[in-house]
Amino acid sequence: MITTVIYGFTIGGILYIISIGLSLTFGSMRIVNFAHALVYTTGAYFLVVALRTLGLGFLPAAAVATAAVLPIAAGIERFVIRRLYGESLDYAIIATYAVLLIGVDLIKWAFGATPIPLSDPIGKDVDLFGISFPLYRLLIVALAISIHGGLYLFFKRTIVGKIVVAGLEDKDAVRSLGIDVDRYFAIVFLVGSGLAALGGVLYAPITSVHPYMGFQVLLISFAVVIVGGMGSLHGTFLASFALGMVIAITGRYWGPAAETMVYAVMAVVLVFKPLDV
Amino acid sequence: MTERLRRIDILLIAGAFLLLLPLLKFQRATDYIIFCVFVLSFDLIYGYMGRLSFGHMLFLGAGAYGATLFADRVSPNPFLSLLFAIAAAAAVGALLGPVAVRATGAAFALINLAFNQVGHFLVLIAFARFTGGEDGMAAVFSKVGFLDFQDKRVLFGFCLACLLLTCWGMKRLTTSPFGILLRMIKENETRVKFLGYDTFRYKWAAYTLSAGVAGFSGALSILNYGYVTPSFIDTNRNVEVIFASLIGGAGSIYGSLVGGVVFMAISNYLPTYIPRWEMFLGFGLLLLVFRFRTGIWGALSALEVFRPRREGEGG
Repeated sequence: MITTVIYGFTIGGILYIISIGLSLTFGSMRIVNFAHALVYTTGAYFLVVALRTLGLGFLPAAAVATAAVLPIAAGIERFVIRRLYGESLDYAIIATYAVLLIGVDLIKWAFGATPIPLSDPIGKDVDLFGISFPLYRLLIVALAISIHGGLYLFFKRTIVGKIVVAGLEDKDAVRSLGIDVDRYFAIVFLVGSGLAALGGVLYAPITSVHPYMGFQVLLISFAVVIVGGMGSLHGTFLASFALGMVIAITGRYWGPAAETMVYAVMAVVLVFKPLDV
Repeated sequence: MTERLRRIDILLIAGAFLLLLPLLKFQRATDYIIFCVFVLSFDLIYGYMGRLSFGHMLFLGAGAYGATLFADRVSPNPFLSLLFAIAAAAAVGALLGPVAVRATGAAFALINLAFNQVGHFLVLIAFARFTGGEDGMAAVFSKVGFLDFQDKRVLFGFCLACLLLTCWGMKRLTTSPFGILLRMIKENETRVKFLGYDTFRYKWAAYTLSAGVAGFSGALSILNYGYVTPSFIDTNRNVEVIFASLIGGAGSIYGSLVGGVVFMAISNYLPTYIPRWEMFLGFGLLLLVFRFRTGIWGALSALEVFRPRREGEGG
Protein backbone atom coordinates (compact mmCIF):
# COMPACT_ATOMS: atom_id res chain seq x y z
CA MET A 1 0.00 0.00 0.00
CA ILE A 2 2.84 2.39 0.79
CA THR A 3 4.28 1.66 -2.64
CA THR A 4 0.96 2.68 -4.14
CA VAL A 5 0.92 5.92 -2.16
CA ILE A 6 4.45 6.82 -3.21
CA TYR A 7 3.54 5.94 -6.76
CA GLY A 8 0.52 8.23 -6.47
CA PHE A 9 2.75 11.05 -5.28
CA THR A 10 5.06 10.55 -8.26
CA ILE A 11 2.19 10.72 -10.73
CA GLY A 12 0.81 13.70 -8.84
CA GLY A 13 4.15 15.47 -9.08
CA ILE A 14 4.39 14.92 -12.82
CA LEU A 15 0.77 15.92 -13.28
CA TYR A 16 1.38 19.14 -11.38
CA ILE A 17 4.39 20.04 -13.50
CA ILE A 18 2.41 19.47 -16.67
CA SER A 19 -0.94 20.90 -15.60
CA ILE A 20 0.19 24.13 -14.06
CA GLY A 21 1.04 25.62 -17.44
CA LEU A 22 -2.33 24.54 -18.79
CA SER A 23 -4.10 25.99 -15.79
CA LEU A 24 -2.32 29.32 -16.09
CA THR A 25 -2.98 29.69 -19.83
CA PHE A 26 -6.56 28.71 -19.21
CA GLY A 27 -6.91 31.26 -16.44
CA SER A 28 -5.01 34.04 -18.17
CA MET A 29 -5.83 33.75 -21.84
CA ARG A 30 -9.10 31.81 -21.55
CA ILE A 31 -7.69 29.47 -24.13
CA VAL A 32 -7.71 25.71 -24.00
CA ASN A 33 -4.34 24.86 -25.31
CA PHE A 34 -4.29 21.44 -26.92
CA ALA A 35 -0.82 22.26 -28.19
CA HIS A 36 0.33 21.81 -24.62
CA ALA A 37 0.35 18.07 -25.30
CA LEU A 38 2.62 18.68 -28.28
CA VAL A 39 5.10 20.62 -26.15
CA TYR A 40 5.12 17.78 -23.66
CA THR A 41 5.68 15.11 -26.31
CA THR A 42 8.35 17.18 -28.04
CA GLY A 43 10.19 17.55 -24.73
CA ALA A 44 10.33 13.78 -24.35
CA TYR A 45 11.56 13.30 -27.93
CA PHE A 46 14.22 15.98 -27.58
CA LEU A 47 15.38 14.14 -24.49
CA VAL A 48 15.75 10.99 -26.56
CA VAL A 49 17.73 12.90 -29.17
CA ALA A 50 19.95 14.54 -26.54
CA LEU A 51 20.60 11.24 -24.78
CA ARG A 52 21.13 9.00 -27.79
CA THR A 53 22.34 11.19 -30.63
CA LEU A 54 24.25 13.84 -28.71
CA GLY A 55 25.32 11.37 -26.04
CA LEU A 56 24.74 13.76 -23.13
CA GLY A 57 24.22 12.73 -19.52
CA PHE A 58 20.67 12.82 -18.18
CA LEU A 59 20.83 16.21 -16.45
CA PRO A 60 22.35 18.18 -19.34
CA ALA A 61 20.10 16.29 -21.75
CA ALA A 62 17.03 17.23 -19.72
CA ALA A 63 18.12 20.87 -19.65
CA VAL A 64 18.82 20.93 -23.39
CA ALA A 65 15.51 19.22 -24.22
CA THR A 66 13.49 21.63 -22.09
CA ALA A 67 15.27 24.66 -23.50
CA ALA A 68 14.93 23.43 -27.08
CA VAL A 69 11.16 23.27 -26.74
CA LEU A 70 10.84 26.93 -25.77
CA PRO A 71 11.29 28.37 -29.29
CA ILE A 72 8.57 26.00 -30.53
CA ALA A 73 6.24 27.11 -27.77
CA ALA A 74 7.04 30.74 -28.56
CA GLY A 75 6.22 30.07 -32.20
CA ILE A 76 2.87 28.52 -31.32
CA GLU A 77 2.06 31.46 -29.07
CA ARG A 78 3.09 34.05 -31.63
CA PHE A 79 1.51 32.58 -34.75
CA VAL A 80 -1.53 30.72 -33.51
CA ILE A 81 -2.64 31.71 -30.05
CA ARG A 82 -1.94 35.43 -30.23
CA ARG A 83 -3.99 35.68 -33.40
CA LEU A 84 -6.98 34.24 -31.59
CA TYR A 85 -7.12 36.56 -28.60
CA GLY A 86 -10.60 37.77 -27.86
CA GLU A 87 -12.13 35.53 -30.48
CA SER A 88 -14.53 32.70 -29.95
CA LEU A 89 -13.07 30.02 -27.71
CA ASP A 90 -14.05 27.33 -30.16
CA TYR A 91 -11.62 28.56 -32.76
CA ALA A 92 -8.78 28.53 -30.27
CA ILE A 93 -9.61 24.96 -29.32
CA ILE A 94 -9.77 23.84 -32.94
CA ALA A 95 -6.61 25.72 -33.95
CA THR A 96 -4.50 24.39 -31.10
CA TYR A 97 -5.84 20.90 -31.76
CA ALA A 98 -4.77 21.33 -35.37
CA VAL A 99 -1.29 22.30 -34.18
CA LEU A 100 -1.23 19.16 -32.06
CA LEU A 101 -2.22 16.99 -35.04
CA ILE A 102 0.45 18.54 -37.25
CA GLY A 103 3.14 18.24 -34.58
CA VAL A 104 2.34 14.65 -33.73
CA ASP A 105 2.42 13.73 -37.39
CA LEU A 106 5.79 15.47 -37.78
CA ILE A 107 7.11 13.47 -34.83
CA LYS A 108 5.81 10.27 -36.38
CA TRP A 109 7.50 11.25 -39.63
CA ALA A 110 10.82 11.93 -37.97
CA PHE A 111 10.94 9.20 -35.35
CA GLY A 112 8.37 6.60 -36.38
CA ALA A 113 5.48 5.45 -34.24
CA THR A 114 7.29 2.74 -32.29
CA PRO A 115 7.57 3.48 -28.57
CA ILE A 116 11.09 4.24 -27.40
CA PRO A 117 11.88 2.91 -23.92
CA LEU A 118 14.26 4.82 -21.67
CA SER A 119 15.93 3.53 -18.55
CA ASP A 120 15.81 5.07 -15.09
CA PRO A 121 18.51 7.74 -15.20
CA ILE A 122 19.55 7.28 -11.56
CA GLY A 123 19.00 3.59 -11.12
CA LYS A 124 19.39 3.74 -7.35
CA ASP A 125 16.79 2.71 -4.80
CA VAL A 126 16.26 4.17 -1.37
CA ASP A 127 14.75 2.45 1.63
CA LEU A 128 11.72 4.07 3.13
CA PHE A 129 9.45 2.47 5.72
CA GLY A 130 11.29 -0.77 5.04
CA ILE A 131 10.40 -0.79 1.35
CA SER A 132 12.74 0.30 -1.40
CA PHE A 133 11.79 2.87 -4.02
CA PRO A 134 13.54 4.24 -7.04
CA LEU A 135 15.23 7.43 -5.93
CA TYR A 136 14.20 9.01 -9.22
CA ARG A 137 10.51 8.94 -8.30
CA LEU A 138 11.13 10.57 -4.95
CA LEU A 139 13.18 13.28 -6.63
CA ILE A 140 10.29 14.03 -8.98
CA VAL A 141 7.98 14.62 -6.03
CA ALA A 142 10.58 16.89 -4.41
CA LEU A 143 11.00 18.78 -7.68
CA ALA A 144 7.26 19.27 -8.09
CA ILE A 145 6.98 20.68 -4.58
CA SER A 146 9.91 23.03 -5.12
CA ILE A 147 8.46 24.19 -8.45
CA HIS A 148 5.21 24.93 -6.67
CA GLY A 149 7.13 26.93 -4.06
CA GLY A 150 9.02 28.74 -6.77
CA LEU A 151 5.87 29.65 -8.70
CA TYR A 152 4.19 30.79 -5.49
CA LEU A 153 7.09 33.14 -4.76
CA PHE A 154 7.10 34.27 -8.39
CA PHE A 155 3.46 35.31 -8.24
CA LYS A 156 3.71 36.74 -4.74
CA ARG A 157 7.00 38.60 -4.81
CA THR A 158 8.06 39.56 -8.33
CA ILE A 159 6.51 42.43 -10.22
CA VAL A 160 5.91 40.27 -13.28
CA GLY A 161 4.07 37.73 -11.17
CA LYS A 162 1.99 40.43 -9.54
CA ILE A 163 1.02 41.88 -12.89
CA VAL A 164 -0.10 38.44 -14.03
CA VAL A 165 -2.14 37.84 -10.87
CA ALA A 166 -3.76 41.23 -11.26
CA GLY A 167 -4.37 40.51 -14.94
CA LEU A 168 -6.11 37.25 -14.06
CA GLU A 169 -8.35 39.18 -11.69
CA ASP A 170 -9.25 42.06 -13.97
CA LYS A 171 -7.49 42.36 -17.26
CA ASP A 172 -8.99 45.65 -18.32
CA ALA A 173 -8.11 47.40 -15.09
CA VAL A 174 -4.47 46.37 -15.41
CA ARG A 175 -4.42 47.45 -19.02
CA SER A 176 -5.81 50.83 -18.09
CA LEU A 177 -2.69 51.31 -15.95
CA GLY A 178 -0.71 51.28 -19.16
CA ILE A 179 0.58 47.74 -18.82
CA ASP A 180 0.63 45.46 -21.83
CA VAL A 181 -1.00 42.49 -20.10
CA ASP A 182 -0.79 40.21 -23.10
CA ARG A 183 3.00 40.40 -23.07
CA TYR A 184 3.05 39.20 -19.50
CA PHE A 185 0.57 36.47 -20.27
CA ALA A 186 2.89 35.38 -23.06
CA ILE A 187 5.64 35.04 -20.46
CA VAL A 188 3.34 32.87 -18.37
CA PHE A 189 2.59 30.82 -21.46
CA LEU A 190 6.29 30.23 -22.03
CA VAL A 191 6.90 29.30 -18.41
CA GLY A 192 3.97 26.87 -18.56
CA SER A 193 5.20 25.35 -21.82
CA GLY A 194 8.70 24.97 -20.41
CA LEU A 195 7.25 23.14 -17.44
CA ALA A 196 5.19 20.89 -19.72
CA ALA A 197 8.33 20.00 -21.63
CA LEU A 198 10.06 19.32 -18.33
CA GLY A 199 7.15 17.08 -17.39
CA GLY A 200 7.59 15.12 -20.61
CA VAL A 201 11.32 14.86 -19.98
CA LEU A 202 10.81 13.63 -16.42
CA TYR A 203 8.05 11.20 -17.25
CA ALA A 204 9.82 9.68 -20.27
CA PRO A 205 12.05 7.33 -18.24
CA ILE A 206 9.02 6.06 -16.28
CA THR A 207 6.86 5.24 -19.27
CA SER A 208 7.99 4.98 -22.86
CA VAL A 209 8.24 7.73 -25.44
CA HIS A 210 5.70 7.53 -28.24
CA PRO A 211 3.96 10.08 -30.51
CA TYR A 212 0.58 9.84 -28.81
CA MET A 213 1.84 10.12 -25.24
CA GLY A 214 0.58 13.69 -25.15
CA PHE A 215 -3.05 12.85 -25.88
CA GLN A 216 -3.54 10.72 -22.77
CA VAL A 217 -1.73 13.06 -20.43
CA LEU A 218 -3.51 16.09 -21.82
CA LEU A 219 -6.94 14.74 -20.93
CA ILE A 220 -5.86 13.95 -17.40
CA SER A 221 -4.26 17.39 -17.11
CA PHE A 222 -7.52 18.95 -18.19
CA ALA A 223 -9.27 17.00 -15.47
CA VAL A 224 -6.72 18.34 -12.99
CA VAL A 225 -7.35 21.88 -14.16
CA ILE A 226 -11.12 21.50 -13.98
CA VAL A 227 -11.02 19.88 -10.54
CA GLY A 228 -8.43 22.31 -9.20
CA GLY A 229 -9.94 25.45 -10.63
CA MET A 230 -8.61 27.33 -13.63
CA GLY A 231 -5.67 29.58 -12.96
CA SER A 232 -5.49 28.54 -9.31
CA LEU A 233 -1.98 27.62 -8.18
CA HIS A 234 -2.89 25.86 -4.96
CA GLY A 235 -5.97 24.25 -6.46
CA THR A 236 -3.93 22.73 -9.27
CA PHE A 237 -1.35 21.52 -6.76
CA LEU A 238 -3.91 19.78 -4.57
CA ALA A 239 -5.88 18.40 -7.52
CA SER A 240 -2.72 16.99 -9.11
CA PHE A 241 -1.80 14.99 -6.05
CA ALA A 242 -5.38 13.94 -5.35
CA LEU A 243 -5.88 12.68 -8.91
CA GLY A 244 -2.41 11.14 -8.96
CA MET A 245 -3.47 9.18 -5.92
CA VAL A 246 -6.74 8.20 -7.63
CA ILE A 247 -4.74 6.84 -10.57
CA ALA A 248 -2.33 4.94 -8.35
CA ILE A 249 -4.99 3.38 -6.13
CA THR A 250 -7.32 2.44 -9.01
CA GLY A 251 -4.35 1.12 -10.94
CA ARG A 252 -3.45 -1.14 -8.04
CA TYR A 253 -6.80 -2.87 -8.15
CA TRP A 254 -7.76 -2.62 -11.81
CA GLY A 255 -5.04 -1.31 -14.10
CA PRO A 256 -7.01 -0.40 -17.23
CA ALA A 257 -9.53 1.66 -15.26
CA ALA A 258 -6.92 3.98 -13.71
CA GLU A 259 -7.35 6.88 -16.14
CA THR A 260 -11.08 6.47 -16.52
CA MET A 261 -11.48 6.88 -12.78
CA VAL A 262 -10.00 10.36 -13.09
CA TYR A 263 -12.81 11.40 -15.41
CA ALA A 264 -15.35 9.88 -13.07
CA VAL A 265 -13.96 11.98 -10.24
CA MET A 266 -14.03 15.01 -12.50
CA ALA A 267 -17.67 14.37 -13.39
CA VAL A 268 -18.58 14.10 -9.71
CA VAL A 269 -16.74 17.34 -8.97
CA LEU A 270 -18.60 19.01 -11.82
CA VAL A 271 -21.95 17.87 -10.51
CA PHE A 272 -21.35 19.63 -7.24
CA LYS A 273 -19.31 22.53 -8.54
CA PRO A 274 -20.52 23.55 -11.97
CA LEU A 275 -18.11 25.86 -13.66
CA ASP A 276 -18.51 28.90 -15.80
CA VAL A 277 -15.76 29.66 -18.22
CA MET B 1 -30.97 34.35 -40.97
CA THR B 2 -33.55 31.65 -41.01
CA GLU B 3 -32.64 29.06 -43.52
CA ARG B 4 -35.15 28.20 -46.15
CA LEU B 5 -35.73 24.62 -47.00
CA ARG B 6 -38.50 24.31 -49.51
CA ARG B 7 -40.13 21.15 -50.70
CA ILE B 8 -38.11 21.30 -53.90
CA ASP B 9 -34.92 21.36 -51.84
CA ILE B 10 -35.65 17.93 -50.48
CA LEU B 11 -35.74 16.73 -54.08
CA LEU B 12 -32.52 18.60 -54.83
CA ILE B 13 -30.76 16.96 -51.89
CA ALA B 14 -32.00 13.54 -52.92
CA GLY B 15 -30.88 14.21 -56.50
CA ALA B 16 -27.44 15.36 -55.39
CA PHE B 17 -26.88 12.17 -53.44
CA LEU B 18 -28.13 10.04 -56.32
CA LEU B 19 -25.39 11.73 -58.37
CA LEU B 20 -22.87 10.10 -56.05
CA LEU B 21 -23.94 6.69 -57.24
CA PRO B 22 -22.08 6.57 -60.57
CA LEU B 23 -18.91 7.58 -58.72
CA LEU B 24 -19.07 5.23 -55.76
CA LYS B 25 -20.18 1.78 -54.77
CA PHE B 26 -23.52 1.60 -52.98
CA GLN B 27 -21.96 0.85 -49.64
CA ARG B 28 -19.58 3.82 -49.91
CA ALA B 29 -22.34 6.16 -51.03
CA THR B 30 -24.46 5.01 -48.10
CA ASP B 31 -21.52 5.81 -45.86
CA TYR B 32 -21.51 9.40 -47.15
CA ILE B 33 -25.19 9.73 -46.36
CA ILE B 34 -24.81 8.34 -42.86
CA PHE B 35 -21.92 10.65 -42.11
CA CYS B 36 -24.11 13.58 -43.18
CA VAL B 37 -26.71 12.54 -40.61
CA PHE B 38 -23.95 12.55 -38.00
CA VAL B 39 -22.74 16.01 -39.06
CA LEU B 40 -26.32 17.29 -38.84
CA SER B 41 -26.61 16.02 -35.27
CA PHE B 42 -23.32 17.67 -34.39
CA ASP B 43 -24.41 20.90 -36.02
CA LEU B 44 -27.46 21.11 -33.78
CA ILE B 45 -25.31 21.70 -30.71
CA TYR B 46 -22.32 23.35 -32.43
CA GLY B 47 -23.76 25.40 -35.24
CA TYR B 48 -27.10 26.25 -33.67
CA MET B 49 -26.52 26.14 -29.91
CA GLY B 50 -22.92 27.31 -30.15
CA ARG B 51 -21.37 24.61 -27.99
CA LEU B 52 -18.31 22.88 -29.38
CA SER B 53 -18.25 19.25 -28.31
CA PHE B 54 -15.11 17.18 -28.52
CA GLY B 55 -16.97 14.01 -27.64
CA HIS B 56 -19.77 13.54 -30.11
CA MET B 57 -18.43 10.14 -31.13
CA LEU B 58 -19.74 8.89 -27.79
CA PHE B 59 -23.32 9.10 -29.05
CA LEU B 60 -22.47 7.61 -32.42
CA GLY B 61 -20.89 4.76 -30.51
CA ALA B 62 -23.84 4.43 -28.14
CA GLY B 63 -26.13 4.04 -31.15
CA ALA B 64 -23.80 1.64 -32.92
CA TYR B 65 -23.33 -0.58 -29.89
CA GLY B 66 -26.99 -0.25 -28.96
CA ALA B 67 -28.09 -1.49 -32.38
CA THR B 68 -25.58 -4.33 -32.45
CA LEU B 69 -26.34 -5.55 -28.94
CA PHE B 70 -30.07 -5.36 -29.55
CA ALA B 71 -29.76 -7.33 -32.79
CA ASP B 72 -27.51 -9.83 -31.11
CA ARG B 73 -29.42 -10.40 -27.89
CA VAL B 74 -33.03 -9.43 -28.42
CA SER B 75 -34.30 -9.37 -31.95
CA PRO B 76 -32.74 -9.21 -35.41
CA ASN B 77 -35.46 -6.83 -36.61
CA PRO B 78 -33.55 -3.83 -38.03
CA PHE B 79 -36.29 -1.31 -37.25
CA LEU B 80 -36.53 -2.29 -33.60
CA SER B 81 -32.73 -2.15 -33.45
CA LEU B 82 -32.74 1.36 -34.88
CA LEU B 83 -35.37 2.52 -32.42
CA PHE B 84 -33.51 0.94 -29.53
CA ALA B 85 -30.23 2.54 -30.65
CA ILE B 86 -31.82 5.99 -30.86
CA ALA B 87 -33.37 5.53 -27.45
CA ALA B 88 -30.09 4.30 -25.98
CA ALA B 89 -28.06 7.19 -27.36
CA ALA B 90 -30.70 9.72 -26.31
CA ALA B 91 -30.75 8.17 -22.84
CA VAL B 92 -26.98 8.56 -22.57
CA GLY B 93 -27.39 12.16 -23.69
CA ALA B 94 -30.19 12.80 -21.22
CA LEU B 95 -28.12 11.30 -18.42
CA LEU B 96 -24.94 13.25 -19.15
CA GLY B 97 -26.70 16.41 -20.31
CA PRO B 98 -27.29 17.98 -16.91
CA VAL B 99 -23.55 17.84 -16.18
CA ALA B 100 -22.41 18.80 -19.65
CA VAL B 101 -24.71 21.64 -20.65
CA ARG B 102 -24.04 23.68 -17.56
CA ALA B 103 -20.53 24.20 -18.89
CA THR B 104 -19.73 26.52 -21.75
CA GLY B 105 -16.86 26.97 -24.16
CA ALA B 106 -13.74 25.08 -23.32
CA ALA B 107 -15.16 23.21 -20.36
CA PHE B 108 -18.02 21.87 -22.48
CA ALA B 109 -15.57 20.56 -25.07
CA LEU B 110 -13.42 18.90 -22.44
CA ILE B 111 -16.22 17.37 -20.42
CA ASN B 112 -17.58 15.74 -23.53
CA LEU B 113 -14.12 14.53 -24.40
CA ALA B 114 -13.81 12.98 -20.95
CA PHE B 115 -17.23 11.30 -21.23
CA ASN B 116 -16.24 9.95 -24.60
CA GLN B 117 -13.05 8.57 -23.14
CA VAL B 118 -15.04 6.82 -20.40
CA GLY B 119 -17.41 5.37 -23.01
CA HIS B 120 -14.49 4.12 -25.05
CA PHE B 121 -13.04 2.47 -21.97
CA LEU B 122 -16.38 0.87 -21.13
CA VAL B 123 -16.82 -0.83 -24.50
CA LEU B 124 -13.14 -1.62 -25.00
CA ILE B 125 -12.33 -3.05 -21.59
CA ALA B 126 -14.99 -2.95 -18.90
CA PHE B 127 -17.78 -4.60 -20.91
CA ALA B 128 -15.51 -6.39 -23.34
CA ARG B 129 -17.38 -9.60 -22.54
CA PHE B 130 -20.52 -8.17 -24.15
CA THR B 131 -19.02 -5.92 -26.79
CA GLY B 132 -16.18 -8.07 -28.02
CA GLY B 133 -13.56 -5.52 -26.89
CA GLU B 134 -10.94 -4.70 -29.48
CA ASP B 135 -12.33 -7.16 -32.03
CA GLY B 136 -15.85 -5.78 -31.95
CA MET B 137 -18.83 -7.89 -32.86
CA ALA B 138 -21.03 -8.65 -35.82
CA ALA B 139 -24.72 -7.88 -36.15
CA VAL B 140 -27.09 -9.83 -38.37
CA PHE B 141 -30.39 -8.25 -39.31
CA SER B 142 -33.40 -10.06 -40.66
CA LYS B 143 -35.61 -9.19 -43.58
CA VAL B 144 -38.70 -7.15 -42.83
CA GLY B 145 -41.38 -7.65 -45.43
CA PHE B 146 -39.94 -6.69 -48.80
CA LEU B 147 -37.10 -4.68 -47.23
CA ASP B 148 -33.88 -6.65 -47.19
CA PHE B 149 -31.07 -4.50 -45.85
CA GLN B 150 -28.48 -7.01 -46.96
CA ASP B 151 -29.21 -5.63 -50.40
CA LYS B 152 -27.03 -2.52 -50.55
CA ARG B 153 -29.37 -0.80 -52.99
CA VAL B 154 -32.30 -1.09 -50.62
CA LEU B 155 -30.14 0.15 -47.77
CA PHE B 156 -28.97 3.11 -49.85
CA GLY B 157 -32.56 4.10 -50.50
CA PHE B 158 -33.51 3.66 -46.87
CA CYS B 159 -30.56 5.71 -45.61
CA LEU B 160 -31.29 8.45 -48.11
CA ALA B 161 -34.86 8.54 -46.86
CA CYS B 162 -33.51 8.73 -43.30
CA LEU B 163 -31.24 11.63 -44.25
CA LEU B 164 -34.11 13.51 -45.87
CA LEU B 165 -36.21 12.87 -42.79
CA THR B 166 -33.40 14.21 -40.60
CA CYS B 167 -33.03 17.28 -42.81
CA TRP B 168 -36.73 17.92 -42.64
CA GLY B 169 -36.77 17.40 -38.90
CA MET B 170 -33.80 19.72 -38.43
CA LYS B 171 -35.48 22.34 -40.57
CA ARG B 172 -38.67 22.14 -38.56
CA LEU B 173 -36.72 22.21 -35.36
CA THR B 174 -34.38 25.06 -36.15
CA THR B 175 -37.11 27.32 -37.46
CA SER B 176 -39.41 26.57 -34.54
CA PRO B 177 -39.45 28.79 -31.43
CA PHE B 178 -37.28 26.14 -29.81
CA GLY B 179 -34.64 26.44 -32.54
CA ILE B 180 -34.73 30.21 -32.36
CA LEU B 181 -34.17 29.98 -28.63
CA LEU B 182 -31.15 27.78 -29.24
CA ARG B 183 -29.68 30.37 -31.54
CA MET B 184 -30.41 33.06 -29.01
CA ILE B 185 -28.52 31.00 -26.44
CA LYS B 186 -25.60 30.90 -28.84
CA GLU B 187 -25.61 34.66 -29.21
CA ASN B 188 -26.22 35.70 -25.64
CA GLU B 189 -27.36 33.27 -23.02
CA THR B 190 -27.58 35.80 -20.21
CA ARG B 191 -30.08 37.82 -22.15
CA VAL B 192 -32.20 34.76 -22.85
CA LYS B 193 -32.25 34.00 -19.14
CA PHE B 194 -33.17 37.60 -18.49
CA LEU B 195 -36.17 37.17 -20.75
CA GLY B 196 -37.37 34.52 -18.34
CA TYR B 197 -36.45 31.35 -20.16
CA ASP B 198 -34.96 28.45 -18.27
CA THR B 199 -32.06 27.98 -20.67
CA PHE B 200 -30.84 24.86 -18.88
CA ARG B 201 -33.93 22.94 -19.97
CA TYR B 202 -33.60 23.96 -23.61
CA LYS B 203 -29.91 23.13 -23.72
CA TRP B 204 -30.56 19.78 -22.11
CA ALA B 205 -33.30 19.01 -24.61
CA ALA B 206 -31.10 19.98 -27.56
CA TYR B 207 -28.23 17.92 -26.20
CA THR B 208 -30.45 14.86 -25.79
CA LEU B 209 -31.95 15.32 -29.23
CA SER B 210 -28.54 15.68 -30.83
CA ALA B 211 -27.39 12.56 -29.01
CA GLY B 212 -30.39 10.65 -30.34
CA VAL B 213 -29.74 11.68 -33.93
CA ALA B 214 -26.03 10.85 -33.58
CA GLY B 215 -27.06 7.44 -32.25
CA PHE B 216 -29.35 7.09 -35.25
CA SER B 217 -26.40 7.61 -37.59
CA GLY B 218 -24.34 5.11 -35.59
CA ALA B 219 -27.09 2.49 -35.90
CA LEU B 220 -27.37 3.14 -39.65
CA SER B 221 -23.63 2.51 -39.97
CA ILE B 222 -24.17 -0.86 -38.35
CA LEU B 223 -26.88 -1.66 -40.88
CA ASN B 224 -24.38 -0.72 -43.57
CA TYR B 225 -21.34 -2.58 -42.28
CA GLY B 226 -22.80 -5.33 -40.14
CA TYR B 227 -20.20 -5.13 -37.40
CA VAL B 228 -19.15 -2.74 -34.66
CA THR B 229 -15.65 -1.99 -33.37
CA PRO B 230 -14.37 0.48 -30.76
CA SER B 231 -13.40 2.83 -33.59
CA PHE B 232 -17.08 3.84 -33.62
CA ILE B 233 -16.52 5.49 -30.25
CA ASP B 234 -12.88 6.49 -30.71
CA THR B 235 -12.11 9.85 -29.08
CA ASN B 236 -9.53 10.75 -31.69
CA ARG B 237 -12.13 10.67 -34.44
CA ASN B 238 -14.08 13.58 -33.02
CA VAL B 239 -11.97 15.93 -35.07
CA GLU B 240 -13.52 14.46 -38.24
CA VAL B 241 -17.00 15.76 -37.56
CA ILE B 242 -15.64 19.11 -36.38
CA PHE B 243 -13.65 19.40 -39.60
CA ALA B 244 -16.67 18.43 -41.67
CA SER B 245 -18.90 20.94 -39.92
CA LEU B 246 -16.36 23.73 -40.37
CA ILE B 247 -15.53 23.03 -43.98
CA GLY B 248 -19.16 22.91 -44.95
CA GLY B 249 -20.25 25.82 -42.83
CA ALA B 250 -21.64 25.50 -39.31
CA GLY B 251 -25.17 26.47 -38.42
CA SER B 252 -26.76 25.45 -41.69
CA ILE B 253 -28.39 22.27 -42.94
CA TYR B 254 -26.85 22.66 -46.37
CA GLY B 255 -23.51 23.47 -44.84
CA SER B 256 -23.61 20.23 -42.89
CA LEU B 257 -24.50 18.22 -45.98
CA VAL B 258 -21.78 19.84 -48.06
CA GLY B 259 -19.29 19.41 -45.23
CA GLY B 260 -20.19 15.76 -44.75
CA VAL B 261 -19.81 14.91 -48.42
CA VAL B 262 -16.63 16.96 -48.87
CA PHE B 263 -15.00 15.48 -45.80
CA MET B 264 -15.89 11.94 -46.82
CA ALA B 265 -14.56 12.57 -50.32
CA ILE B 266 -11.32 13.99 -48.96
CA SER B 267 -10.84 11.15 -46.52
CA ASN B 268 -11.65 8.61 -49.22
CA TYR B 269 -9.27 9.78 -51.87
CA LEU B 270 -6.60 11.82 -50.17
CA PRO B 271 -4.86 9.20 -48.02
CA THR B 272 -4.03 7.24 -51.15
CA TYR B 273 -2.10 10.22 -52.49
CA ILE B 274 -0.84 11.88 -49.33
CA PRO B 275 0.62 9.64 -46.65
CA ARG B 276 0.61 12.33 -43.98
CA TRP B 277 -3.15 12.45 -43.43
CA GLU B 278 -3.15 13.89 -39.91
CA MET B 279 -0.91 16.74 -40.97
CA PHE B 280 -3.23 17.55 -43.83
CA LEU B 281 -6.17 17.56 -41.44
CA GLY B 282 -4.25 19.90 -39.12
CA PHE B 283 -3.30 22.39 -41.82
CA GLY B 284 -6.83 22.19 -43.19
CA LEU B 285 -8.27 23.09 -39.80
CA LEU B 286 -5.84 25.99 -39.37
CA LEU B 287 -6.79 27.31 -42.78
CA LEU B 288 -10.48 27.02 -41.93
CA VAL B 289 -10.05 28.80 -38.60
CA PHE B 290 -7.89 31.65 -39.90
CA ARG B 291 -9.11 32.26 -43.43
CA PHE B 292 -12.31 30.47 -44.22
CA ARG B 293 -14.58 30.48 -41.23
CA THR B 294 -17.89 30.40 -43.00
CA GLY B 295 -17.01 27.22 -44.84
CA ILE B 296 -17.96 26.27 -48.36
CA TRP B 297 -21.67 26.83 -47.95
CA GLY B 298 -21.12 30.15 -46.21
CA ALA B 299 -18.90 31.30 -49.06
CA LEU B 300 -21.39 30.13 -51.67
CA SER B 301 -24.35 31.81 -50.08
CA ALA B 302 -22.36 35.03 -49.74
CA LEU B 303 -22.14 35.16 -53.52
CA GLU B 304 -24.79 37.46 -54.90
CA VAL B 305 -25.98 34.99 -57.54
CA PHE B 306 -26.89 32.30 -55.08
CA ARG B 307 -28.49 34.50 -52.50
CA PRO B 308 -32.15 33.54 -52.26
CA ARG B 309 -34.51 36.39 -52.86
CA ARG B 310 -36.67 37.11 -49.87
CA GLU B 311 -40.15 38.42 -50.18
CA GLY B 312 -40.70 41.87 -48.80
CA GLU B 313 -37.06 42.36 -47.87
CA GLY B 314 -35.67 43.34 -51.22
CA GLY B 315 -32.85 40.77 -51.32
